[in-house]
Amino acid sequence: MFELVIFFFFAAVAVIGALTVVLHPNQVVGAISLVLSFFALAVMYVLLGAPFMAALQVIIYAGAIMVLFLFVIMLLNVERDEIVVSRPVQRFLGYTAGSAFGLTVSYYLLKAAVIEAPEGSIFLSDARSVGMRLFEAYIFPFEMVSILLLAAIVGALLLTQRDVRRDATGGGETV
Amino acid sequence: MAFDTTDIVLTVVKIAFVLAITLSITPVMVWVERRGSALIQDRPGPNRVGPFGLLQSLADALKFILKEDVLPAQAHRWLYTLAPVFGLIPAVVTISVVPFARSFVIPEMNVFGRTWFEGGRIFEPIIADVNIGILLIFALASLGVYGMALAGWSSNNKYSLFGGIRASAQMISYELALTLAAIGALMGAGSLRLTEVVYRQTGYFVLFGIDWLRIPAWNIFPMFLGFIVFYVATFAETNRLPFDFAEAEAELVAGYHTEYSSMKFAMFFMAEYMAMGTISALTATLFLGGWDIPWYDEPATFVGFLLSGLAFLIKVSFLLFVFVWVRWTLPRLKYDYLMKIGWKVFLPMAILNILIVAILIAFRWI
Repeated sequence: MFELVIFFFFAAVAVIGALTVVLHPNQVVGAISLVLSFFALAVMYVLLGAPFMAALQVIIYAGAIMVLFLFVIMLLNVERDEIVVSRPVQRFLGYTAGSAFGLTVSYYLLKAAVIEAPEGSIFLSDARSVGMRLFEAYIFPFEMVSILLLAAIVGALLLTQRDVRRDATGGGETV
Repeated sequence: MAFDTTDIVLTVVKIAFVLAITLSITPVMVWVERRGSALIQDRPGPNRVGPFGLLQSLADALKFILKEDVLPAQAHRWLYTLAPVFGLIPAVVTISVVPFARSFVIPEMNVFGRTWFEGGRIFEPIIADVNIGILLIFALASLGVYGMALAGWSSNNKYSLFGGIRASAQMISYELALTLAAIGALMGAGSLRLTEVVYRQTGYFVLFGIDWLRIPAWNIFPMFLGFIVFYVATFAETNRLPFDFAEAEAELVAGYHTEYSSMKFAMFFMAEYMAMGTISALTATLFLGGWDIPWYDEPATFVGFLLSGLAFLIKVSFLLFVFVWVRWTLPRLKYDYLMKIGWKVFLPMAILNILIVAILIAFRWI
């Protein structure tokens, strides 16, 4: 009973937060609503018995990624009248397609999803078991992802360090 | 999870106790800060209200309540009001996973014609002993930055905005060093649970095989590098001098809380000191043995509970005093220098610390 109340409260927070992100004209309010929505999702993970996932959800999405988003929004500081107003046709098509997609997804989820918890399965998602999985069963994709991230970091550095590139080619070249 | 009445009562008592301590950190620390700065600058400091000026904080609080609450005309009304709350909540909640004393057995008692604690009950002096312990602290602490960033943005003031942007950049940068430095201590314990991190530090290190040459098994000794990085990062995370760029009064008036007044300002003030208290408690837990008393075996009784709690309080108070000491001794750094040492010095040092700890564990030296 208690869990049900918590579930419905945070489910409402998550949905309202997500709707605010899409519908509110102010980007900063949108970013904060997304943080709220992520936080409510983390509560869902706790209710499902996966507190480790909940902590990661908050640390990575709410704590790291959204701070960067907010940082960029604040730096750009877009004025309200600079935002391009969409045409009524575009808006109609967008809302129709979006709600059709949402309805279809929820229809098939309700049809196919198993609502009851599987019997007798012990599902562990603490730090130890996740770490073991990552470094034993999924060691190859794990290492591949780190190489991918390294490539991304090097690329980002190359894009920002324009002077270095000019010096390397002997100068005179405009980048 | 099945709770009985005793569990609920004990938890409520623990929450009330910890909340009372956390809330009283701010007035006490304000007094320590004022008298401490006066001591360092060779002047008397506030000494009129109450003995040694101890009631000065009360007078300050009264003043905050009575001041006019100004809402700037161009501010974003909702976010401006919410920002101090965003700052305050993480500072209050994070303390719940820190163990503050040794656990002890409550003996069976017969009070009011009813038997309490049948067969004895172990009292864990921690509000929530969850298996993600420290991750919870990092998760909530990472939300603390929203308070400053939003306050800076919603005030619609260029100084506030600069303060907010600086705060977010600085906290993102130093969060990495802080987390990586803490990993060493967690590797030693093999758990994210802070109670286990403390129990791991209750023994001794016997140096060079000489039996009487014993030092407490505190993490600060094998992980000194990690401790340094962690401790410096805590100054950046709590926006204290020499890293208080979010409010650098010489450049930004008062930074992110320039436009704030009355109780909203007081909430930022409280959040800052509570965050200092939480992070000092975390430093003591991770590196200084938590509630462990060196060269003494705490018994699992009420006396052991009290003594260990006192030891923890002394450690946290010392760390808090160092915050004051450093603030009134060191000048503010340059902003670019802060970023440079954060990424180029402290981050590599934290990674090096992980490597050292891994080697120590591999050879079974700790």
